[in-house]
Amino acid sequence: MSLPEVLPSRAEVIARVKSQGKRLLAVMPIHYPRALLRAYGFHPIELWGPPDAPVAQGARHFQAYTCDIVVKATSFLLSGGADVAEGILVPHTCDALQGMAAVLHDFVHPRQRVLTLYHPRERREADRLYYVDELARLGRDLEELAGKRPSEGEWTEALATETAATTALAELYRDRPRLALGDREFYTLVRSREYLPSEDFIRIASAVQRGAPRAADGVPILLSGIVPEPMSLFDAIHAAGAAVVADDLACGFRRVYEIPERGSALERLAASILDAPADPTRGTPLAERAEELILRMTSTGARGMLVYGVKFCEPELFDLPRLRHYLGEAGFPMTHIEHELVSTLGQQAVTRIEAFVETLQ
Amino acid sequence: MSAVAGIGIDAGSTTTKLVAVDGGGAIVAHAIEAAHPRVEDQVARLLDELRARAGAGVGVPSVATGYGRKLVKEVTRQVTEITCHARGVFAALGTPGTLVDIGGQDSKVIRVGADGRAVDFLMNDKCAAGTGRFLENTASRLGVPLDELGPRAIGARGEEAISSTCTVFAESEIISLIAHGAELGSILKGLHRSLIGRIGAMVRGVGLERPLMLSGGVARNVAVRELLGELAGEPVVVPEDPQLMGAYGAAILALESSEGRFQAPTRRE
Amino acid sequence: MSTTRPASLPIAPAQPAAAGAARPSREGAASKPSTAFRESTYLKHLFGYEILGKPALRLQRWRDEQAIRAYEPKPTDVLSPPLVCVAQMKELMTRHYLEGRYASGVKKVAWVTSGAPAEILKAFGFFLVYPENHAALCGVRRKTEEIATEAENAGFSRDLCSYARTDLGTVLSGKTPVGRLPRPDLLLCCTNICQTVLYWYRNLADLFGVPLVLIDTPFLYGEAQPHQIEYVKRQIEGIIPVAEKVAGKALDEERFESVLQHARDAADLWLEVLNRSQNRPAPMTAFDGFIHMGPIVDLRGDAVTVEYYRRMLKELDARVAQGVGAVKDERYRVLWDNLPIWYRIGGFSKLLAQHGVNVVVSTYTYAWGELAPLIDPAKPLDSMAKVYLHPILNRSPADKLRVMRRMVKEFGLDGVILHSDRSCKPYSLGQIDERELLARELGLPALLLEADHSDPRAWADEQGNARLEAFVEMMEGRG
Repeated sequence: MSLPEVLPSRAEVIARVKSQGKRLLAVMPIHYPRALLRAYGFHPIELWGPPDAPVAQGARHFQAYTCDIVVKATSFLLSGGADVAEGILVPHTCDALQGMAAVLHDFVHPRQRVLTLYHPRERREADRLYYVDELARLGRDLEELAGKRPSEGEWTEALATETAATTALAELYRDRPRLALGDREFYTLVRSREYLPSEDFIRIASAVQRGAPRAADGVPILLSGIVPEPMSLFDAIHAAGAAVVADDLACGFRRVYEIPERGSALERLAASILDAPADPTRGTPLAERAEELILRMTSTGARGMLVYGVKFCEPELFDLPRLRHYLGEAGFPMTHIEHELVSTLGQQAVTRIEAFVETLQ
Repeated sequence: MSAVAGIGIDAGSTTTKLVAVDGGGAIVAHAIEAAHPRVEDQVARLLDELRARAGAGVGVPSVATGYGRKLVKEVTRQVTEITCHARGVFAALGTPGTLVDIGGQDSKVIRVGADGRAVDFLMNDKCAAGTGRFLENTASRLGVPLDELGPRAIGARGEEAISSTCTVFAESEIISLIAHGAELGSILKGLHRSLIGRIGAMVRGVGLERPLMLSGGVARNVAVRELLGELAGEPVVVPEDPQLMGAYGAAILALESSEGRFQAPTRRE
Repeated sequence: MSTTRPASLPIAPAQPAAAGAARPSREGAASKPSTAFRESTYLKHLFGYEILGKPALRLQRWRDEQAIRAYEPKPTDVLSPPLVCVAQMKELMTRHYLEGRYASGVKKVAWVTSGAPAEILKAFGFFLVYPENHAALCGVRRKTEEIATEAENAGFSRDLCSYARTDLGTVLSGKTPVGRLPRPDLLLCCTNICQTVLYWYRNLADLFGVPLVLIDTPFLYGEAQPHQIEYVKRQIEGIIPVAEKVAGKALDEERFESVLQHARDAADLWLEVLNRSQNRPAPMTAFDGFIHMGPIVDLRGDAVTVEYYRRMLKELDARVAQGVGAVKDERYRVLWDNLPIWYRIGGFSKLLAQHGVNVVVSTYTYAWGELAPLIDPAKPLDSMAKVYLHPILNRSPADKLRVMRRMVKEFGLDGVILHSDRSCKPYSLGQIDERELLARELGLPALLLEADHSDPRAWADEQGNARLEAFVEMMEGRG
């Protein structure tokens, strides 16, 4: 069976999860502790837009220079799109999401409770201590919402399942050259984490056949950015003669966590996010991020980096000039395409992708 | 013909409009022309023509509005188009409510109070595709005459989602849709929907007080009227000469200032 | 008609852009700081600053004071003459930037964000550069476009904060209206105003290759939690070892306490200065406030700043006693939310004054005074943790709305202008709802004015002024 047939739709998942007595939480990008949610009986459904949400209701609350993810997610919430959820978790990813959480919480007052989570932007002792407390605070909010505290058994199950799912995702990336999946299929599977229960993801991801390693189906590139919308981006990359062999996507490799085995549950979750791959929204220093990217490109054979960035995304935009400098020194060209969240890939983007691939050939 | 008792001049970004009213506030003469680079000369000529045609005396009070209002020196006062549109539409329709004016450079939503004053207003963001120019540009790019835009959008079978907020992105999106064989009318409908979506956000911002009224040249576009009507849940109300409302409001204000009814202090230069 | 201000407001002497500015090597890639960031010498510092600079500036101040005192008001003036103390403010700020020219290699230099706990560094004797203030100065001097373009050419998007673009432009090209900025030995960045400063300072750290101390302040959606205060306190403590290493000496506790005391006293006085505008007519405008903010931001913790605001308060009190208003015919009193539009301060002030409008209060200038009561020199680190966690930009917009509602009452306001600032998202997101609530609940004319605090390319005079005038017409219509 092909991947689209195996993957249930969001609607199917929502219906099934609800029938199992789980509670739904709408979650905004990027990082959050899945095992914590799971222990309290919540299933996350992530909102990265969606692209087809009408802009008007969001535009009613946010200026035109606001990131499209915030505007469209707000529209989606206000048009009842997430009414099945009991809460909305808005992690503090950036100033735009801070604004969204604040406007929802202070002025819009949606039916759902607005939950927040402030990530530290360093990895010092103070940051680790704080983050554990901050996760505990989120836990108290979830407890209020759920009306119960997880048992030890529930905690153990949650940690075990989420650790296994995290590993399954990491193995997908590790086995990438051996997978019988095209780019679009691969990222459809990676992005199914946005709504699929972890046990389903583990099952589907480990069932993907591994064959002999094969060369990339085109000029190998690394794709950076927040979210590859529309997914036809991958078709355009393929049509241009390139293949995505590695990524630096917020919805992709930046969330390949490793949950350490030692420490309390909250310490383990805090460490998994703090020590995740480089991410400007978590404050990774520029040289460190560049080094990681260069290493990733070298090890996967990527010849250049395509940055597909959401318009107005400050954390991404600020890093580009120095990344271009470091990557340039290492011999990797880079190009940057800006986009809004739309369901049709703009012709401008298609042309730029083609031109970039031509320079790499 | 009754004597001219007030003159309003609306020096807009695309057209220059002139309206003359009699002592009862009725329009006795008007003119619409494409905006001239030297708007002062243009207005002087229009005033001369008015004097020749309607016999308006030199001492008739006049108010200038629109972007070029500061350039029109020979008027009694200069007032912004927000106040003038509110006043003009109130005089024409006789009701308070929420007024939408989609102009070339600016779109505005104005809440008109019980006495015809602007109680609150919002205008488009500088970078948003919320102006008449957005439609004009796309129409010319698609080779559709401006006056066919509305009917073709309304007559479309489907509707394509145009979700870009930036004009440049929207154009790129449209080119892709055409490349994928989407029907032109459906694209146009999506385009109108996108514009009205932006306007709708402003309408909610100042608050919808019925009726929803529409002025400005875009009011002649049937798709804009219909989609705005959908938004309001009832048909929008359009004055007879939507394009003249700014100049008409200015003329009414000129008339009132001569009668000492307009309280606002005269602007100092 | 004539502008009423005899003394010009610029804060530092005009200087040609530094010669020999290095250009980025690759288009769209920021490679290294300009060669303009070279070291100065003790001798240059002694002659340029101590022996020649300071006395020259003192003389200039004396001349400016004479000019203001000698000014004969004209009947066409819509604004009162400026406060005499503005001459001293100009001296203080110019002196600060002049010292900066010669500071590199002579003193340890730290670049700090406007909301950073810089008192510790001041106690160590660091010379402090506030890139945000420098960028604002570039805005006032209409230099933003030229300097920001340098950053844009190096690949920094025009959608990024214009302060950051200005600063990075200065770093990459050496261009500045103040002659030269000293190279940093240390960077101190506090996220209590935005995350933008973090991305910006990461670039500075990378370009200059110097340590960056981050003070990360969790955004307060509600009351501050103990773990959040503890987190900030731990980080502030963490400044000390880094600063000791860079400065090569230990923290002088006594000096630290006195710096904090000065910071507290100045903030107290600044709050009083701003509150004088509750009087009718208000003795100053918020536009004056934007200009007079220089010392409380850049020279916070100095004794001279306390002296300065004491003097300013006295002058305001004299105005209040005589019933002199900053706007001669004050008929409408208005609030300004968000940063100023630096390149239009003079223009707006005059435009509004012509209609009898005085912008008497702003949420922005208040940010440097409202937390004064929290500063406790006896408990330096605990109180600093609270102060630096609580700026208006680190609190939820509902809280800002409460502040604005209170200001409407306390200052007897007739309208509200919310500057929707493309470059400051934390300040701006939420304003659409705030505007609506202020207009609906209080029945006040409220204007959302879209612009940018220092990039004039985000502003169109025609469109913008028409909106301001329509807002005034709304107030006039209410009688």
